[in-house]
Amino acid sequence: MNSTRNYIEFVLDNKIQKIEWNGTHQLSPTTTLLQYLRSLENHKGTKEGCGEGDCGACTVVVAELENEKLVYKAVNSCLIFLPQVHGKQIITVENLAKENTLHPIQSAMVELDASQCGFCTPGFAMSMFALYKASGVTNESEILDAFAGNLCRCTGYKSILNAAHKALGSKTKDQFSEIENDIKQKLRNIQHKNGLFTTELQQYYAPKSLTEALTIKKNNNKITVIGGASDVALRVTKKKEIIPQILDLSHISELNFINKTSQGFEIGSATTLQQLKEAVKSDLPAFDNILSVFGSKQIRQVATLGGNIGSASPIGDTLPLLMAYKAIVTVKNLSEEREFPLTEFITGYRQTQLKEDELITKIFIPIPDSSVHIDIQKISKRVDLDISTVCGVLRLELESDNTIKNINLYYGGMSAVTKGAENTEKFLLSKKWSKETLTEAMPFIEKDFTPIADARSEAEGRMIFAKNLLLKFWENFQK
Amino acid sequence: MPNKIVHESGNLHVTGKAVYIDDINTPSNTLHGFIVTSPIAKGILKSFDLSDALETPGVHAILSYKDIPGQNQMGTIVHDEVILVEKDIEFIGQGLFIIAADNEHCALNAKAKIKMEIEELEPVISLEDSMKLGLKLHDTIVMESGNINTEFAKCDHIIEAQIENGGQEHWYLETQVSLAIPGEYDEIKIYSSTQHPSETQALIAEALHVGKHAVVVETRRLGGAFGGKETQANNVAIWASLLANKTQKPVKIRLFRDEDQKITGKRHPFLINYKIGFNNDGIIKAYFVDFNANAGYSSDLSMAILARARTHAENAYFIPNIRIESTAWKTNIPSNTAFRGFGGPQGIYAIEDAMERVALKLGKEPAEIKYKNFYKHDINNTTPYGEIVENNRIYTIWDKIIEDSDYYSRKKKINEFNKNNEFKKRGIALTPVKFGISFNTPFLNQAGSLVNIYTDGTVLVNHGGIEMGQGLHTKIGQIVADEFGISLNKVKVNATITSTVPNTSATAASSGTDMNGMAAKNAADKLIARFKEFLTKHWSANTYKCQPENIIFKDNKVIDLGNDLNNIEFTEAVNLLYLDRISLSAQGFYKTPNLYFNNETQKGRPFHYFVWGISISEVELDILTGRHKILRTDILHDTGHSFNENIDIGQIEGAFIQGVGWCTSEEMKWDKKGNLLNHSPDTYKIPGIRDIPEIFNVELLKNAPNPNTIKQSKAVGEPPFIHGLSVFFAIKHATAAVNDHKKYPNLNIPATHEKIILAIDELKNNK
Repeated sequence: MNSTRNYIEFVLDNKIQKIEWNGTHQLSPTTTLLQYLRSLENHKGTKEGCGEGDCGACTVVVAELENEKLVYKAVNSCLIFLPQVHGKQIITVENLAKENTLHPIQSAMVELDASQCGFCTPGFAMSMFALYKASGVTNESEILDAFAGNLCRCTGYKSILNAAHKALGSKTKDQFSEIENDIKQKLRNIQHKNGLFTTELQQYYAPKSLTEALTIKKNNNKITVIGGASDVALRVTKKKEIIPQILDLSHISELNFINKTSQGFEIGSATTLQQLKEAVKSDLPAFDNILSVFGSKQIRQVATLGGNIGSASPIGDTLPLLMAYKAIVTVKNLSEEREFPLTEFITGYRQTQLKEDELITKIFIPIPDSSVHIDIQKISKRVDLDISTVCGVLRLELESDNTIKNINLYYGGMSAVTKGAENTEKFLLSKKWSKETLTEAMPFIEKDFTPIADARSEAEGRMIFAKNLLLKFWENFQK
Repeated sequence: MPNKIVHESGNLHVTGKAVYIDDINTPSNTLHGFIVTSPIAKGILKSFDLSDALETPGVHAILSYKDIPGQNQMGTIVHDEVILVEKDIEFIGQGLFIIAADNEHCALNAKAKIKMEIEELEPVISLEDSMKLGLKLHDTIVMESGNINTEFAKCDHIIEAQIENGGQEHWYLETQVSLAIPGEYDEIKIYSSTQHPSETQALIAEALHVGKHAVVVETRRLGGAFGGKETQANNVAIWASLLANKTQKPVKIRLFRDEDQKITGKRHPFLINYKIGFNNDGIIKAYFVDFNANAGYSSDLSMAILARARTHAENAYFIPNIRIESTAWKTNIPSNTAFRGFGGPQGIYAIEDAMERVALKLGKEPAEIKYKNFYKHDINNTTPYGEIVENNRIYTIWDKIIEDSDYYSRKKKINEFNKNNEFKKRGIALTPVKFGISFNTPFLNQAGSLVNIYTDGTVLVNHGGIEMGQGLHTKIGQIVADEFGISLNKVKVNATITSTVPNTSATAASSGTDMNGMAAKNAADKLIARFKEFLTKHWSANTYKCQPENIIFKDNKVIDLGNDLNNIEFTEAVNLLYLDRISLSAQGFYKTPNLYFNNETQKGRPFHYFVWGISISEVELDILTGRHKILRTDILHDTGHSFNENIDIGQIEGAFIQGVGWCTSEEMKWDKKGNLLNHSPDTYKIPGIRDIPEIFNVELLKNAPNPNTIKQSKAVGEPPFIHGLSVFFAIKHATAAVNDHKKYPNLNIPATHEKIILAIDELKNNK
């Protein structure tokens, strides 16, 4: 590789920090940002509560240049590999106060009793800080959304919400506004070359171009591919794996795009779910709905659409919806490009059509005709940050007399793969869209699925949920 | 709020400067402690060979039970818990060996090389199986009053029911952690995430076979505890100490979240059978209840937890004839343990369920039935254990909350709503709480303190209580600052250290401020007496004659009310005492007065006083998805004369939401082999920010000073946990609305989305 860098550079404590992998390193390239911060003497404010992105105690803010603007994002530092922060600014809870003057979000939290044991507090503070730095007025649902990825076991949340309202109700320029130009300049000075970080046990590739990435993939068939790493990082934090080879796609701008055409959205595979959520909000409202209860904002800001599809989880909530939208997946190797409808792309439990030398490059989501009604319903124990017990999607077209012209029902959580309820669909086709027909259709769900029991639900519960969703769809779309 | 005093660590929390044990910068030779745990729930460790594993690079020590210098024992009340398995394996996650290594990967490499032969036996995992097999940990304990048998025969109605509740994982944000640093001779210092440093110290001394004076346990603060660090911090502290002692290097053990969830104890699941007898007027005449607790593999605190379940079996109701049976059953899961409420929630759950069924049977309003049966002021005020209920505040609370919450008119509106909505149903419920304050075991009700005044007039308070977020240190600081009449910033509360205040009790049973606050006041009082004695002589000799009773401490001054020229800065007074060679340090002590209990007769006066409260919650249930939302909760709660209202309200809000979690989304399942399926926050769901009530009113009962307690306040930690039950019963009402309240839903705690739709399915199909 030409002009490869074996180091990463990022801004921390307003200074450029450099970490080099030159054979005498302490840190592995799959060291998480959290592990790195906690190894420093003066950054132990960032806490590990769970090591899997479910509690938010490790939340830090990553600021990056987007169109010459510094954008502040709250992320889970436990699910980010160190090389992923190259070229970015890291802000931790220790950075918020200027000398002894608390940041407005901090003083609001102190004054309004938003901390008790204090262990979750740095995470909440950072989520609140990211909101503070977002432009415009913050509404209630944005506040709740920002904290959906932070758990507190002491306060019952009310005092934290009060503090957020107080701090966000009167935003002013803070110390970060003052140094923004300086930080931007520092970030601009960081070189973005292809990265390769090698230790005795690991090789971590961070290419800049798709061609580089495909070459690496071709030469290293078993390499682990990451977009945001929010899933793969669990192998490090929970299973204590030393992953031998990593291909990090997060620095490839060719894979990070959203193009809207008259037909639909073309989305680069490294696009984050949060970017997607915001881009398709008005055209594909069902996406906005489901992504509002998908993971947390911290996770959505790093997790990619390509990663979500590539992992082919039986309960990945975007999958049944993408199927209902008749999404097309494009994959590529060095010599050719192939396209699959998503329904065909996924072949089994965590299995896809992807060949060893291929990468998912983009996903096309057609904008359906206005006669098409799409609804997604997620059943989960908790509203936020909970994997679906059952997730159901309806795609419906009615004749003018309310007869069902076309219907697709996709379910996640009901079998080893996300799939359609074919018997139920067949029964419903050409019948009236009515409560009675949908009630009659309920027993057909039993022909379509034989769900399993697991930590989330028993099989019997899943079956009732799946049936009930038919009525739920009707409740939401009464004609 | 005037003179609002915020949490003493608030500033440190929000800046990340608050130091938890894992944040202590450790010496560079600190080793990583690692536990090799049992992969099976029941079996026999027949043999093992550590020799290959010991050769692993980066490994400094691997210990088995054979390497424990002292007793291989960490049972706190009953000695039935080994530190490391000798032969019998009792649950998945039990400690077999401990490793000290340079880092986690070295330890994992060593673990892979340990050779052992284990014979697997059939475990008993469920409470039902344990009961079928008769695996009692201890004899059943019975508490009785009146005569249920003769009374049941006279009742107009009898209802019998079986209910159950699930366990609850504490989910403190900070997992269990200990840092052990060997010292000179046999000495060792341990930073432990314990709620009970004196016990941690004792167990380490026994394990290391050294005197307790050689062991110092220090705890600055905990990242949450909720009872989960009362005994459950001990194993990690002992393991770290054994490794530090062996290697003579500092050793830290911090459990990863999944590990913590898998190996530590939780709230006890109960299976409860009850029979309730009542008359047409709704008056309860007789109640039989049988509490069966899934204790896990060892005793731990199970018998004390059952004692609290028994003493809360009648909640706020006078029941003239009552028989309470209680049994702890052994299973091959981690030993269940203390958790906020300590058996009280389970006991109260049963009687509240019974009250709801009585109301349904009589076609009456549940709140009315509850009201009719409340303890009275002068008659019908003796508890089943013989303690008289004094200062009963339930009626005051009732009058106010019924009006403030608009209970009756909302109930009507809910009935209308339910008539007009097919897929959404609403429910409202009221639950009272009466909670006894004091450890059920009288001797535990003691506390100590050490107050030092330094010559610059600053004060350092040491006491035996642990700060775990509840604001204990803030309140203790307030108490001492008020006693000396000095600014709060002149007072610091020290980390809790066994070498400054010895032989303390756990910070538990909601009693932290009550007891340690009194102990701190006691020390301050001794010092104040020294000031008064000295200043009386000093002023009388040098300025104006002075009477000691006229001396007050106020506004950072010491003032003679008899003569305003006798007036001195506190700091100056301190200096005068110092120069006169008067000690500026005093120990304080407190024992809760007038407590006694006879374990044979199960009669006595176990509680210093009772805390009272009522909560009313309204929920809306989506009957297709089982999802509920809490539309509104009103809580009126008795904290006596609160001297830190914001801290008390924070405790109530937090306890309520924790109670809601126990009642709704927090569910644990084990497979047949004894593996906990919900061992991470991925599948174990504590409430999140969108789960709190849309309208959430928490109010403290005003004008209710508590006699004979610190600053006339009341304990606050556990009682408001019970308020979560109002959400559970509101969900039950919403569920029952599916069938127009014709039948009582078969719905237990936790009422998860799944359990709710199954209950609805049963109601609809008349199963």
